[in-house]
Amino acid sequence: MKTWRYYWRNGDRRHVMLMGYLFICPVVIYSLVTAFVPMAVSFYLSFTRYNMLTPAKWVGLANYRTILFADDLFRTALRNTAQYAVEVLPANIILSLGLAVLVNRAIRGITLFRTAYYLPVVTSIIAASMIWLWIYQPDAGLLNLLLSRFFHLPPIDWLGNPRLALHSLVLMRVWKGVGWNMVLYLAGLQGIPGYLYEAAKIDGASPAQQFRAITWPMLKPVTYYIIIMGLISTFQTFGEIYAMTRGGPLDSTTTVGFLIYQRAFSYFEMGEASAIAFILFVIIFGLSLLNVKYFQYRG
Amino acid sequence: MKRILAVAVFSVLLLSMPVFAQKTTVTVWFAGTPQGFMDVINNELVPEFEAANPNIDLTVSFVPWGELSTKLATAFAGGVAPDVFMHGGAATAGFAASGRLEPLDSYLAGWPDAADFGATLESGLYKGKRYLVPMFGAGRLLVYRADFFREAGLDPAKPPTTWEELRAAATALAVKKDGRLVREGLDLPIAGIDAQQIWAGLLWQNGGDFFNEDSTKAVFNSPEGVAALEFLVGFIHKDGVTDTRYDVGQSTAPPPMALGKTAMFFAVPEELNQIKTYSPEVYKEVRVALPLKRKAQVTLYSFSGLFLSKDSKHKAQAWEAIKFFGSKSSLAKINASMGTLPPRKSLATADFIAHDPNIKAFVEGMQYGKPNPNIPTWVKCRDALSRYIEKAIFGQLSPKEALDQAAAEVDKILAQQ
Repeated sequence: MKTWRYYWRNGDRRHVMLMGYLFICPVVIYSLVTAFVPMAVSFYLSFTRYNMLTPAKWVGLANYRTILFADDLFRTALRNTAQYAVEVLPANIILSLGLAVLVNRAIRGITLFRTAYYLPVVTSIIAASMIWLWIYQPDAGLLNLLLSRFFHLPPIDWLGNPRLALHSLVLMRVWKGVGWNMVLYLAGLQGIPGYLYEAAKIDGASPAQQFRAITWPMLKPVTYYIIIMGLISTFQTFGEIYAMTRGGPLDSTTTVGFLIYQRAFSYFEMGEASAIAFILFVIIFGLSLLNVKYFQYRG
Repeated sequence: MKRILAVAVFSVLLLSMPVFAQKTTVTVWFAGTPQGFMDVINNELVPEFEAANPNIDLTVSFVPWGELSTKLATAFAGGVAPDVFMHGGAATAGFAASGRLEPLDSYLAGWPDAADFGATLESGLYKGKRYLVPMFGAGRLLVYRADFFREAGLDPAKPPTTWEELRAAATALAVKKDGRLVREGLDLPIAGIDAQQIWAGLLWQNGGDFFNEDSTKAVFNSPEGVAALEFLVGFIHKDGVTDTRYDVGQSTAPPPMALGKTAMFFAVPEELNQIKTYSPEVYKEVRVALPLKRKAQVTLYSFSGLFLSKDSKHKAQAWEAIKFFGSKSSLAKINASMGTLPPRKSLATADFIAHDPNIKAFVEGMQYGKPNPNIPTWVKCRDALSRYIEKAIFGQLSPKEALDQAAAEVDKILAQQ
């Protein structure tokens, strides 16, 4: 059979190129229409004032200046988002690794457990939020019911106390995300060659030593992937905030993602909203870059 | 021959065009998706209108309130806005200032029914022009449980009429056990629009207002406004008769009054409906009081209705549709389907109102109603204000500090306007 290489060397190169472009056409058009053009327009809008009803007005860097230097709510949102990420990520990594080690064995019915831990991942965030709203409900919620029955604790307002609300959301997010990372770790665990452990055993390494010297280093690429993806997704957190707290109480759960939504679709300040989105992009990009450098440097 | 044929075909086409063109399509977006409301529009009113106006085709959609502003803005930006759309009266200024609304004054002048709407037409007033034909309204009134009143030795026929009486009643009605509040004397929303709306009622009762005459400066941090917020916060921090239960986004939870967790709260008619649905037994004990009186007897009432888009290509036909939905019989059906307040004076005695003394009280209270200020940046001002009211409620700032800081922020928003 003649391959494209044959035609490239001996035939009509233009034809080969055309065919190539034709094949990538669907995905190129798709990305252009749904991602690149909107991104470009949004970048342009970040230098304007635009309320969707009257034409956009060029204001230069004014939006960026306001947000970076005179927007208390943006600072609060950034702090909340960072705190959220800092709490969610380590908890998620420790738990999902633990679960992965636990379910990485050949005992009967283990798939049932794997499925159970994975279920929250495929649950829609809005549906999950509704359930957790009920779990956290101060008067009739499941959590307070259990706490008062078994520990005789007074009702706690999990989402209504400004000091607790963000942590309550963290707990739910960890529950929601742990299954996904567990599967990643599980795949990572199963890719570690068994002879490494055998060699370690012969050398007399304890299970803890095996974990520290073999499992953890071998899982580094997975951890690295989980941290980057986790950073991106926690920094974009929106769904549960919208469904559960609307950023309150006292702005304690206002994340940058929610702030963008509020500016864009409550106040119709598309310019400011776009500018926040690009600042968020720079932050996520910077953090990811740091992460890459760190892992390259360490190993 | 060929030419004659071409001319003949062309003239036939030309002649038949008006026949096709006679039928105009008018698109209408209704806000809200209660089943009863949609049924009335789809199964009764639209067929009725189309039968009476064979030349107009109505294309009707229902948009959830939460998505309404977003969808409208997108539709206007994309040039596919509906001819007629429903929104709250407070949305008037934003759309009118952007030049997207057709003023209705000249249309209203030729419509004898307009007088029947009375002051409710003012809901859509912006810079001296009217833009809205109201469809239904809601107000905030004090709702209380007669059984708890009797239990506390109060007369259910004499609800509080002043701030002092409200405070005394709330104290008498609160029930504490082991130092914890098991029944609130008065349930107050502690955040968001609801908290802001209740404070607004108190602000007006105390003789204060939001903005100066030409809406260029915030004046709600006046001594009247501060006293109103101090009064509100007092229920929580001084008297301890109100919980700080956070209720934003938790409308799925059963109403606290239906659970017996509170004796009084400021409700909109929809919340009465929720109690009725959750527990018809409790609803029998629920009563509605007229607005409190201090310097004035007043509370927030707002109306939603139909706007005519400036971009509409069939304004005459669109106005026919608005007139039809605003007719007495249409409004009776629409309001009965949702338990809302009809904006027409002649409907104050309609059947569905006469049957429920609580809805009747809401209709009676309409005469003390006052709408939100109509300024283009209202949503943003309101949210800024809500955030500071929340800070005062949580005790982070004193009422005066909170309102002063809110006023400074609102002034900045007004300056951008």
